[in-house]
Amino acid sequence: MTTLMAALVVGAILFGIGLYGALSQTNLVMIMMGVELMLGAAMVNLVAFWRFLHPEIYAGQMFVLIVMTVMALEMAVGFAIATGRFRAKGSVEMEEAGDLRG
Amino acid sequence: MSASEIFQPFFVGIFGLAAIWFGVVVFRTSSMVRSALALLFSMTAIGAMFLAMEAEFLGVLQIMMMATEMAIMAIFMVMYMMDPGGMEGMDMTHQKYASIFAGILATLGILAVVFLVEWGPVAEAAHPEEQTRMLGIEIMERSMLIFETAGVTILTAMIAATAIAIERRKS
Repeated sequence: MTTLMAALVVGAILFGIGLYGALSQTNLVMIMMGVELMLGAAMVNLVAFWRFLHPEIYAGQMFVLIVMTVMALEMAVGFAIATGRFRAKGSVEMEEAGDLRG
Repeated sequence: MSASEIFQPFFVGIFGLAAIWFGVVVFRTSSMVRSALALLFSMTAIGAMFLAMEAEFLGVLQIMMMATEMAIMAIFMVMYMMDPGGMEGMDMTHQKYASIFAGILATLGILAVVFLVEWGPVAEAAHPEEQTRMLGIEIMERSMLIFETAGVTILTAMIAATAIAIERRKS
């Protein structure tokens, strides 16, 4: 198995774990952890594709920088929503967030 | 066979296994602080994978960013969780079997693509110093608009996050 394959397999498994976490957890912060793992898996794949297929095209590294930005933004806005929700309802349990449905 | 051809798959595999293992621990432990720390280790292992794949700038950036990000996450965990230490052993999951099924299905789908596609020959990467120089040129020339957009988006998210989180004034 080549190193590219090994990295892609790691990315696939991490994405699966992250998807499981995002779907199964009831707490907003834990759901965000699942999303972080999925984005981490995407970054592993992007670095592997850049390094082993087209290392001469540096736009590949730019993709990784953008995903890192998305991760930071997701954390910032997610925690802001958690803070707002905690102020309003005293909990960030998504089981109790049916009222957000409108 | 050169030393890098032998050691690169080994280290990518080892750090990959560590990332997967800590990723599993995130959702297995009942202590939320441990979950945040496990995610920190998982992200650090991903950063170490980048280093093993000769993307040194991205590897160091990943490790530095995640160390601060997860430290902040651990603080929020303690603030907002009902049982941050996991002492009561609360079950904080729902639709567990459907989630496991979705996770396995997604993994198998991606693995099918990984193994069925012919990826072609592996290319040689430039020296790390040259890579960082070329990335700087990429950011400041061709991808400058994308980079600037990312900066503006961060500023927008900062303002939006503050607006959402700030306490409402009583009129």
